[in-house]
Amino acid sequence: MLKTKVRIASLAVLLTVLLAGCSQNNSSSPSATGDDENSPVTFSYYMFSPGKKDTLASETTIGKVLQEQTGVDWKLEYLVGDSATKAGVMIASGDYPDVISSSGEMSKLLDAGAYIPLDDLIEEYGPNIKRVYGPYFDKMKNAEDGKIYALPYTANQGEYSGSPNVGGGAFWIQRSVLKEFNYPKITTLDEYFDLIQDYKEKYPTVDGAETIGFVSLAGVANNFFTLQNPAMHLAGYPNDGSVMVDMTTHEAKVVAGTDAQKKWIKKLNEINAQGMLDPESFTMNKDQYLAKLTSGRVLGYFNYGWQIGDASKNLLSAGIDEKRYAPLPIVFDEGIKDQYVDPPGFVNNYATGISVNAKDPVRIIKYFDNLLKEENQVLVQWGIKDETYSVDEKGRFYYANEDQRKAHDDLELSRKFGFTYFGTDWPKYGGESTLTDGNAYSPGNQPEVAAASYTEGDKKFLEAYGIQTFSELFNKPEERPWFPAWSIALEQGSPEQIFTTKSDDLQRKYLPEMILGAPSNFDKLWDAYMAELNKLDKAGYEATITKVVKDRVAGKW
Amino acid sequence: MPPASSPKGTRAHLFFKRLVQQRTLAWMCIPFVIWAFIFKYLPLWGWTMAFQNFKPARSFSDQQWVGWQHFSTLFEDNTFYRVLRNTLVMSSIKLVLGFVTAITLALLLNELKNVIFKRFVQTVSYLPHFISWVVASSIVLTVLSPDGIINLLLMKLHLIDSPVLWMGKGEYFWGILGATEVWKDVGWNTIIYLAAITAIDPAQYEAAEIDGASRFKRMLYITLPGLKPVIVILLIMNMGSILESGFEPQYLLGNGMNMDYSENLDIFVLKYGLGMGNFSLGTAAGIFKTVVSFIFLFSANYIAKKMGESRLF
Repeated sequence: MLKTKVRIASLAVLLTVLLAGCSQNNSSSPSATGDDENSPVTFSYYMFSPGKKDTLASETTIGKVLQEQTGVDWKLEYLVGDSATKAGVMIASGDYPDVISSSGEMSKLLDAGAYIPLDDLIEEYGPNIKRVYGPYFDKMKNAEDGKIYALPYTANQGEYSGSPNVGGGAFWIQRSVLKEFNYPKITTLDEYFDLIQDYKEKYPTVDGAETIGFVSLAGVANNFFTLQNPAMHLAGYPNDGSVMVDMTTHEAKVVAGTDAQKKWIKKLNEINAQGMLDPESFTMNKDQYLAKLTSGRVLGYFNYGWQIGDASKNLLSAGIDEKRYAPLPIVFDEGIKDQYVDPPGFVNNYATGISVNAKDPVRIIKYFDNLLKEENQVLVQWGIKDETYSVDEKGRFYYANEDQRKAHDDLELSRKFGFTYFGTDWPKYGGESTLTDGNAYSPGNQPEVAAASYTEGDKKFLEAYGIQTFSELFNKPEERPWFPAWSIALEQGSPEQIFTTKSDDLQRKYLPEMILGAPSNFDKLWDAYMAELNKLDKAGYEATITKVVKDRVAGKW
Repeated sequence: MPPASSPKGTRAHLFFKRLVQQRTLAWMCIPFVIWAFIFKYLPLWGWTMAFQNFKPARSFSDQQWVGWQHFSTLFEDNTFYRVLRNTLVMSSIKLVLGFVTAITLALLLNELKNVIFKRFVQTVSYLPHFISWVVASSIVLTVLSPDGIINLLLMKLHLIDSPVLWMGKGEYFWGILGATEVWKDVGWNTIIYLAAITAIDPAQYEAAEIDGASRFKRMLYITLPGLKPVIVILLIMNMGSILESGFEPQYLLGNGMNMDYSENLDIFVLKYGLGMGNFSLGTAAGIFKTVVSFIFLFSANYIAKKMGESRLF
């Protein structure tokens, strides 16, 4: 009998343990309020942007300084894998961190009610937030309820300061090619490929391996735009995503299936027939692609600067200038004005917000407000005076020595100092801002810094073309008040979103087939592709985008 | 104890009698029954999502009910039939290749008399199992790239004139996937058969040898029949997952050029369900998958029963 009782008792204990393990502890109350304002606390911060190591903010110099000011530390977590899936899983489980930086997943998170409205918090605790974001509040308001849920990263302050270097899209060419032919000025796609072909004929191999004329990053699903976007750039449009927007009528037109796309794909088909295109463009993964770019075998490629940051840094530190690449604003025909450089715009859906699970929204909003003080904005971009930057007698910021430059440029050092972690994905001034004392907000945009960072090869290149900075090769952007159209949020599961997925799938299948096929087959394949594409609701998609573009032009964001 | 003649000897009575006798065992089962209930049965509640236009932020009573709409979307979508075909083909390839290669390897290993060599082969063959698919797929992509070892080899042997873009031809995908799966898992799958072989009575072999049976005959008439129960049970269990053709290899090896052959149900659910925040459609596809698996599992079990073989239940 006793035995049975013992058994029942132990079973009961086991059950309690089991059930306790299942129940969630939701009762953590907002603790630090009132007297102990700077008590130490750690919040979690999830970023839907990939490529960084997870860390504690206090393990970086910047994070440490900010922790001393506020007592707040952060567990920073970055995306691994596919962001749409991660967002879906996060929503399905309801397991939100304290703060979420949305990247492309904003509409999904908003739909799911993952964020809390910030209006009252800003009103009460956010003088600096008001100063920085005030002019943009209209563009930040949620269309449905007129509330603000998140703080974006593109709120420019002061005068516009453009970048001297090219971080956006461009046709890149190995500098040795330009040097070989004495730095010719090329503008059209035909000239670009002719030059590459001439060079490849002269130097069929590099270090024993075959020279690659042109390569694309079209094998990686979420980088397929690398193959799609050149069509609109070549036609003289900036990166509006999957559409080209007419400057006068503000009609949005889907790039897929246009003459521009046909011309671009046909050209690739042509150069493939000449053996200049790397067929692996459509099958390799990103690691293999970056390895190829750093091998010195590739003569040309199209990319956005931010897609290939690591490869560029590696090539730079390898020190062989000729194997590095120069950006060119290539267009279809002479007379088309290139628009590679993004016009000043405001992206309202790449933003950071406080989740419904946040333990202490007040502490978080206070931290954000403190972060937006100008001295802290200088800290996250420039660092600490005389340590990672210096100030000359006129008050201009610059790098006094190699160590200061390295603290920003070296991957590991900038990680340790925290530039990598605090440079973006936080409430901040827009990248093209100017500080109140006239210095550029981003060190990369400060002319003194850019000029000092140029290598001998850079200088030779700039001299050959008679320019001061690389961006002078490109045309100035025209004003596009709706820009960028890619930031237009589509409703989850809506016909527009289904169109995007279906038409992308279609292109992922047909474009490589057309490019790698025999030129005689091209028109037949194109017709088949168009027939499939026309089955989709293209008109409906275009109408939706056009409407939002027109709204934005009219000032309604 | 003649229970049949006793009036209390009904089946229910017997059941309770046995329950009391084996109460210790019964008690031990309870935590696992609770576990199964919480983690396997309670989640079935989520199936209701398939019949709603599910919005995550709303409470259950605020959801909009749409009946079978998501199922009809699914069955009207051409993509769905394509991914269904791919799923069935790929899992069949996996099933058949997996069984044949693992059993063959087990039989061959069993015939090896040199223990060190046997261990070496076994270790080498099951090592790839421990590599993650991310790494494994990178290896596959590199080996099969236009300047990878396979193309190099075939060129040197003059079997082809120019490098083949293996990953760019949809028709090759199933073959590549099958070969990859075998390479990765053949050693691991062999283990269970090798274990089953050790259970076969050595006396049978001795007797057969005296009767003059050759090695091949012994394999055919003793080892294989000895393995039969294991094979049948594993086959039934695998039939239940006929629509589980795997997810990682297809996702990692797939690209635009082969997606007509590489996309399977799981990737479809990921893209159109989770990826678009359309949880209802994803759930509908999941239910479909479960139902089909159920049918397969039960028919395989039924057939095994009819054939008088060992079976799952």
